[in-house]
Amino acid sequence: MSSESSKKRKPKVIRSDGAPAEGKRNRSDTEQEGKYYSEEAEVDLRDPGRDYELYKYTCQELQRLMAEIQDLKSRGGKDMAVEIEERRIQSCVHFMTLKKLNRLAHIRLKKGRDQTHEAKQKVDAYHLQLQNLLYEVMHLQKEITKCLEFKSKHEEIDLVSLEEFYKEAPPVISKPEVTMGDPHQQTLARLDWELEQRKRLAEKYRESLSNKEKILKEIEVKKEYLSSLQPRLNSIMQASLPVQEYLFMPFDQAHKQYETARHLPPPLYVLFVQATAYGQACDKTLSVAIEGSVDEAKALFKPPEDSQDDESDSDAEEEQTTKRRRPTLGVQLDDKRKEMLKRHPLSVMLDLKCKDDSVLHLTFYYLMNLNIMTVKAKVTTATELITPISAGDLLSPDSVLSCLYPGDHGKKTPNPANQYQFDKVGILTLRDYVLDLGHPYLWVQKLGGLHFPKEQPQHTVIADHSLSASHMETTMKLLKTRVQSRLALHKQFASLEHGIVPVTSDCQYLFPAKVVSRLVKWVTIAHEDYMELHFTKDIVEAGLAEDTNLYYMALIERGTAKLQAAVVLNPGYSSIPPVFQLCLNWKGEKTNNNDDNIRAMESEVNVCYKELCGARPGYQLLTNQLQRLCVLLDVYLETESHDDSVEGPKEFPQEKMCLRLFRGPSRMKPFKYNHPQGFFSHR
Amino acid sequence: MDRVVPQAVPLGQMEVFQALQRLHMTVFSQSVSPCGKFLAAGNNYGQIAIFSLSAALSSEAKEESKKPVVTFQAHDGPVYSMVSTDRQLVSAGDGEVKAWLWAEILKKGSKELWRCQPPYRTSLEVPEINSLLLVPKENSLILAGGDCQLHTMDLETGAFTRALRGHTDYIHCLALRERSPEVLSGGEDGAVRLWDLRTAKEVQTIEVYKHEECSRPHNGRWIGCLATDSDWMVCGGGPALTLWHLRSSTPTTIFPMRAPQKHVTFYQDLILSAGQGPCVNQWQLSGELKAQVPGSSPGLLSLSLNQQPAAPECKVLTAAGNSCRVDVFTNLGYRAFSLSF
Repeated sequence: MSSESSKKRKPKVIRSDGAPAEGKRNRSDTEQEGKYYSEEAEVDLRDPGRDYELYKYTCQELQRLMAEIQDLKSRGGKDMAVEIEERRIQSCVHFMTLKKLNRLAHIRLKKGRDQTHEAKQKVDAYHLQLQNLLYEVMHLQKEITKCLEFKSKHEEIDLVSLEEFYKEAPPVISKPEVTMGDPHQQTLARLDWELEQRKRLAEKYRESLSNKEKILKEIEVKKEYLSSLQPRLNSIMQASLPVQEYLFMPFDQAHKQYETARHLPPPLYVLFVQATAYGQACDKTLSVAIEGSVDEAKALFKPPEDSQDDESDSDAEEEQTTKRRRPTLGVQLDDKRKEMLKRHPLSVMLDLKCKDDSVLHLTFYYLMNLNIMTVKAKVTTATELITPISAGDLLSPDSVLSCLYPGDHGKKTPNPANQYQFDKVGILTLRDYVLDLGHPYLWVQKLGGLHFPKEQPQHTVIADHSLSASHMETTMKLLKTRVQSRLALHKQFASLEHGIVPVTSDCQYLFPAKVVSRLVKWVTIAHEDYMELHFTKDIVEAGLAEDTNLYYMALIERGTAKLQAAVVLNPGYSSIPPVFQLCLNWKGEKTNNNDDNIRAMESEVNVCYKELCGARPGYQLLTNQLQRLCVLLDVYLETESHDDSVEGPKEFPQEKMCLRLFRGPSRMKPFKYNHPQGFFSHR
Repeated sequence: MDRVVPQAVPLGQMEVFQALQRLHMTVFSQSVSPCGKFLAAGNNYGQIAIFSLSAALSSEAKEESKKPVVTFQAHDGPVYSMVSTDRQLVSAGDGEVKAWLWAEILKKGSKELWRCQPPYRTSLEVPEINSLLLVPKENSLILAGGDCQLHTMDLETGAFTRALRGHTDYIHCLALRERSPEVLSGGEDGAVRLWDLRTAKEVQTIEVYKHEECSRPHNGRWIGCLATDSDWMVCGGGPALTLWHLRSSTPTTIFPMRAPQKHVTFYQDLILSAGQGPCVNQWQLSGELKAQVPGSSPGLLSLSLNQQPAAPECKVLTAAGNSCRVDVFTNLGYRAFSLSF
């Protein structure tokens, strides 16, 4: 090692100066070794490991030499000095080696640091580049997405579909060869076509506008012409009036009526139209007229549905007034009631003429706020009628039309929505006002086309022609039947009050020639009185004694026997028969409770009434029933078995011809009359 | 009383007519089915209604259970009498006897099994048949009514075997004396006659009205009802209700009932009777009135005790008369409910 180092040392001794060294350093490195000494170059050539070994060896040598020197010094002696000197020199040399090694180590370190530094700088530079590039990439990506998301305005336009486009657009625009393949071109072409179409349409629009202007002008001209025509036509009409009257064609009158009809509220209008139609088509005895003030109707120009707005206004007013606490609250309530029950100023009048020249006058009113129709009825006869006492209710306007259809008593409003309206103004029921306003029967509503469904009250019930038409014929027929039956009863009552049962000649066959029992009394009784009678409980419990019925009491007598008959007359006479309940006072009181034969007599008139109806339309039913009762009383009294214990002859000798007196477990009397043989038998 | 509740529905012509019919209906006869679960009732319009007693008596009975299961027109005239054999229901009214099979009767539109008319003497008017009696030993049916004779009909062959004459006025009621066998008949002429079926002759006559204790001339002399219990007989009608000892033909007990009785029957140790007036009367054999139970009809014409062994839960007394209702008494003390046409 030391020899090597000394070899190396040798070239080291030769040191060059600065300038020529510089010049020489410019040459290639291979010459450096020979010319001048450079420790940097040496560092590269030496192996650090070997240097390390050298260092360790040198240290060891030094240590050894020191130790030897120590030894020598400790032994002392003069000759030692040379050895010591030698050793000193050797150690100096070793010191030099160590120094060199130290320098080398420093140089290595410095080189290493320089290299690291360089490398680090490079890495930093690359890193910066990378960052730059990444940043740019990101930026570019953002740009790309922006571009991709860009919606051009052209996508918002609804273009025609592709097939249509290719069909309709001229080839100049659509250029199918180009556009089929290229979607961009296709879209451009479509946009072009769109623009074309829009331009064309704008043109058309301008043209139509100008057309419209022209036509409007023409219309103006024609209108003026027509309005100038109207006065001339009027004068012609006036001139033709005498001709009309001469020819019996009252067009003018009908025309006037139609004029006023236009101001009628819808339900009355429906009634008017349907009644006129029915009268012209089927029934010449029906005549229709409109009464009332047209001006007032015009004053209410708003159609009836808007009266609900009026109502809501008046509601607001009501609230306001209650807040102000006016003392005249009762008067206000009255006014509100009057307002609610207000009638339309126009009314329709129907006159039904019956066969015997009696006329039923019906006046129909429309209550605007309640949306219902009412009717007032009056019967006039050809000759003046003397009303017998018992017939008071028969033709009274209040009850003559009661229960035309079963259950239709006309005392309650048929419109369920009215109840809420009534609650607001404190009206309990319409019943209190019917005398004034007329009866709101259900058939009246139907004739006006108003249908009130029971389940939900509807706010707007509109008048329906088909409903009116379907009910017109039946109702008219029923009305006629009602008037005629009432008039027939009227006549019969007049006779009954005088104790004569008026049996018509065509019904004589139902009865034997000789009838001894006589009708003595015929009076009306009130509904409450009927309910109080002890022998009518069964009828009341069967629900046959309603307050819409009329009640009478007849008394039939023969000798000491008195038969009381309580009669229930249903308004639907004669399709619904009168019902009789009997009480016989003869040798005790006998009713259907304690005498089976009285029960049988009731059955004969109540259940077997169909044979007593007589000729259609069967108005003779009541009188025939009364006559039959007289006959039955005769039979009953004459067939009563004679009581052997009592002295004296029978009060009523048997004059009727009977096959058998008693039959069956209940020992019935023979109540059935057989015509023409004239004998009595059992049913 | 559960009378008909007044309807709130407006009454049209049909409803009024039906209501009037029901008011004037009379139920003349009843008969219990052989199984004991059904009751047949016949009324004056000739209709027969079959009620289901088991349904009406069950704990889930509703209002519909008290209505007939089926109603059909059986005769042209009133159905005055009905009896049941072990398979058939025999009904009679205006001169004709018809029979219906119980098994078929519940189906709608069933037709009668057979019908026939006994040979009547008069032809002017068809006499009614007021009473039917079954004689089980002979398997024959005895009819009696308006022509004052008792006719016997053999149920197997349908032929009329005998005609017993003796009454001078029409016959109301019949009763069977099992031991002998003898038939008792009571009629409008006021006499109760006993007939021996083997000899077809009248063996005994009791003219009730001639006995002062029981006769009531103001009511008439007619005998409306009969019941017999071997040696004893109870009869009533115009004369007072009286218990007779048959062998000696003497009245032993007179029951103090003013109203004429139309139906009487022995039941256990009591006598049940009904007639004019709404009550079913229960009498002790000594003549005391044990109870009077009101029904719902103003007068009663027919009582029926359901003693069929097959249906002990339906053991009830049913009463019918001058109304469309049949009262059901589950316990003789009160009226439980009413079936109605």
